[in-house]
Amino acid sequence: MRLNLKIWRQAGPTAPGRLEDYTADSVSPDMSFLEMLDVVNEGLIVKGKDAIAFDSDCREGICGTCSLVIDGVAHGPDRGTTVCQLHMRRFKDGETVTIEPWRAKAFPVVKDLVVDRSAFDRIIAAGGFVSINAGGAQDANNILIPKDVCDAAMDSAACIGCGACVAACKNASAHLFMSAKISHLSLLPQGQQERYTRVTAMIDQADSEGFGSCSNEGECEAVCPKEIPISNIARMTREYVMARLSK
Amino acid sequence: MAPRTGIFSSSVGTKILIGLTGVLLVVYLLIHIAGNMVVFLGPAAFNTYAFTLESNPLLPLVELVLLSWFVIHIYKTVRNFLSNQTARPVAYQKKKSAGHTTRKTFASSTMIFSGLWLFAFLLVHVKAFHDGWGTQYEWPAGGRDLYRQEMETFANPVMVGFYIISMLVVGSHLWHGASSAFQSLGADKPAWTRVILPAGKAIAVLVAGGFIVIALFAHFYGVRS
Ligand code: HEM
Ligand code: FES
Repeated sequence: MRLNLKIWRQAGPTAPGRLEDYTADSVSPDMSFLEMLDVVNEGLIVKGKDAIAFDSDCREGICGTCSLVIDGVAHGPDRGTTVCQLHMRRFKDGETVTIEPWRAKAFPVVKDLVVDRSAFDRIIAAGGFVSINAGGAQDANNILIPKDVCDAAMDSAACIGCGACVAACKNASAHLFMSAKISHLSLLPQGQQERYTRVTAMIDQADSEGFGSCSNEGECEAVCPKEIPISNIARMTREYVMARLSK
Repeated sequence: MAPRTGIFSSSVGTKILIGLTGVLLVVYLLIHIAGNMVVFLGPAAFNTYAFTLESNPLLPLVELVLLSWFVIHIYKTVRNFLSNQTARPVAYQKKKSAGHTTRKTFASSTMIFSGLWLFAFLLVHVKAFHDGWGTQYEWPAGGRDLYRQEMETFANPVMVGFYIISMLVVGSHLWHGASSAFQSLGADKPAWTRVILPAGKAIAVLVAGGFIVIALFAHFYGVRS
């Protein structure tokens, strides 16, 4: 397979960027999308050119590091799939593919396709944790949690913090990310003590980072590699109302 | 840690206010359209209905409350739109809807435009019916002859056209808005959402369709004296 690539190149955070044309030759349909870019980069390095910078780590869909907008869709065309798990068989020979970084004020470009997502870390640092000492492990049956509550908490905990929700949202809103973290912790007993300080602190932080608000379009849910539903955002709203009323 | 902002200035609080005023305005529209259906019962019934409303001493208060919903809704949505615009300073070269489970539609992408159109429409609408552009008709049994006012207004094809377009715009606003408001207010449980999403679209069609039928009826079949 042969692909025409249009890739966003940007030398640094303040440098102007633009789409540049590349060709990827002898692409195997079994390659992952990132392996295809690795091969393009090898070609560039051999020619003494600057390799295309992009993020990845685990390459098995669990770390949330990879982050490409492919033909206008965060993480590319496959549902519930990170770009490291996207394979070239999804594309046709001769196709033109546009690759861009996540775009948001709160996610400034570092270089090419790499963005700085530490705004997410600061949101977590604002309250997305449990700081109480839960003590030693006790018998699991001492604290009974209904199965559906457990499932909902687990489903939200599946968030890998990749930021695709922000990238896809027309308002670059971090509501899906925050709501997944808030749901995960507020549904479980360990999260109760800090339940209400957490939600206000995290929302405050996200707002001051420059993320937008939510228009309920659900583009975030549609690109989320973990298919986290926007019903979490509604839960976050309920938690927020309770938090503000309870003080 | 004390929250840095008032409840309604945060991104979530803003959503709550927009959703709340949105729902209230939708409820108002449903009552409004139900009331306007009385026009099909003829001039006497319609004018009696209008007179009953207008002679109620509480009406100015109700109007004030209604106005406040509009003001809050418009203020919050416009400010929210402007601040959301700053959240992505560099636009994508290529952007498309992800498909799959998305609720993004033409309607959801044009909320600010449909909203601003509605604002302009409201000015014309209030001018036409509250004030009648200076011309008021008397109804012998008491009050104004609003039936005649309506028929005269819709005798003008330009007016009918403007109303039909505006009602399609309100339909578009509610196609996304009516169900979206519930999500904004925190009501999203899978079992409810399955009902809320189609019900929102049904309300949009009902409201837009209802007002369009009235305008067409008044234009083609209205009895003018
Ligand atoms: C008859 C008048 C109106 C009705 C019934 C109405 C109703 C609604 C409803 C139900 C929503 C959804 C709320 C939500 O998603 O939380 C909404 C959203 C919105 N409305 Fe209105 N509205 C009206 C007039 C206006 C006007 C005059 C504007 C002027 C700017 C406006 C601008 C907006 C915008 C921009 C949104 C989207 C907010 C977002 O992105 O979340 N609306 N409206
Ligand atoms: S590289 Fe870890 S999720 Fe893609």
